[in-house]
Amino acid sequence: MKCDLAIIGAGPAGLSAAVAAAEAGARVVVVDENARPGGRLLGQLHEEPGRVWWIGAEVSKTLANRALAASVQILTGREVWGLFPQWKVALDGGDSITAEYVVVATGAAERALPVPGWTIPGVMAIGAAQTLTNYYRVRPGERIAVVGIDPLALTVAHELKMSGADVVGIYLPPKDAFSGPRSNPDTNLRYLAGMADLAPNAFLRIGGRLANVPLLRKIAVALFPRFGLPLMGTRLHLRQSVVRICGDDQVKRVDVALVDRHGNPGRTHSIMVDCVCISGGLYPVQELTQDCDVAQISELGGTIPLHSPEMETSRKNLFVAGNVTGIEGAKIAMAQGTLAGTVIAARLGHLHDPGEAIRRAAEAVVTAREQSAITFMPEINKGRKIAEDLWRQRTGETNNDLEISV
Amino acid sequence: MDDRIVCRCEDVHLDEIEKCLGEADGHVSVREIKLQTRAGMGICQGRTCGPLLAALIQEKAAKTPDDCGIGANTPVRPVSLADLAGSGDDADLRSVVVEAN
Repeated sequence: MKCDLAIIGAGPAGLSAAVAAAEAGARVVVVDENARPGGRLLGQLHEEPGRVWWIGAEVSKTLANRALAASVQILTGREVWGLFPQWKVALDGGDSITAEYVVVATGAAERALPVPGWTIPGVMAIGAAQTLTNYYRVRPGERIAVVGIDPLALTVAHELKMSGADVVGIYLPPKDAFSGPRSNPDTNLRYLAGMADLAPNAFLRIGGRLANVPLLRKIAVALFPRFGLPLMGTRLHLRQSVVRICGDDQVKRVDVALVDRHGNPGRTHSIMVDCVCISGGLYPVQELTQDCDVAQISELGGTIPLHSPEMETSRKNLFVAGNVTGIEGAKIAMAQGTLAGTVIAARLGHLHDPGEAIRRAAEAVVTAREQSAITFMPEINKGRKIAEDLWRQRTGETNNDLEISV
Repeated sequence: MDDRIVCRCEDVHLDEIEKCLGEADGHVSVREIKLQTRAGMGICQGRTCGPLLAALIQEKAAKTPDDCGIGANTPVRPVSLADLAGSGDDADLRSVVVEAN
């Protein structure tokens, strides 16, 4: 199969890139390994500031329909196993797509947190719980403990509660090599700051904003009630961590320790549960861009392919968009996808005023970042800056093979 | 010793990895752990345990993350030999119809 643009991943970034390029006139194919287009959008369901609900399933349906209306071919349930220069996308079943341009929009994967007992049936990653609840409409358990405090965990805890589950609490993970700063109450207040605008609880809303000031953060941790704070029908525990999950062939209980300001455990008690959802954060899935110039930037969530302001990697005509470039929200992924799709449409000669179109698409990424209601990585701006500087250094020092002009 | 599972695919436990790290007299890479213990060599190819191994190395050996993580090799998804040998005659790739609701 031949086309102008092959896109790997039918999530918010991939579909947006497809719409932007195809509506301009490009022939586009999108490949996704899941049964339906939408990616992580399919599970997203939360209330945004101003009482507006973000219903990811609706957003993805609108995007997919727009793409199909612009003659985009969406291949679902197909796996990409390789990407070969200039450019061939290898699929399962012996198929392949030959395209002049490629957008890798493979998104993110969850980081496991191996809390002792994490492999007992009934323990799952927070994203699995979200998919089960919001997409398949299956409640993952009746009495659920959530381990890990971050915007995703809090959002899903709320969704589990709405589904009728008894969410007994949201706890810290145990302090060890795997959890690192995630087990530290102080760091977690900073994560909460990332969703201060969404917090339905005044303490979190105000506390979240204050958490950006180190001294105030210290006070907030000291004042945080040992037995948690009511939050969206459950309790948020900044001073308790789940140190062990117990059960033989099914989760029966969690052992919870009171912790000091630094996350060190003290006295423990047990809580009966039948399900534990663990949130260890996300990392970019960039296995298909490994041959590009990449950098490990922990502020962005892991190793990412470096890219130009126009979303092109160090390899000619290979673009990236969405969480593969760093962990951010769906709206930012969509804006990045639109930018990549617009640049490619311009390169293909489909746009009358390419400069203006690209400028507007690039501005939309900046606006989406400024208006983002949730920040997943507390130091995302620092991470972006590092990535941009590395890109500039590399284009300055090496004779790159890119066509910068469009 | 801590016997919790780190690599689920290959059933490698934390104590095995710590033993491997403890016996080394120099810097240990994720690749070396993988070769010694089989962690990361199962069906998921280190997608789950790769970041965990990297975290262990960072903590135990005070290594910077630049050589951490398991690099993926093509094929990045399991693929059958028949598919590999496939001719790529793919004129009738199916497209999805997105249902109205």
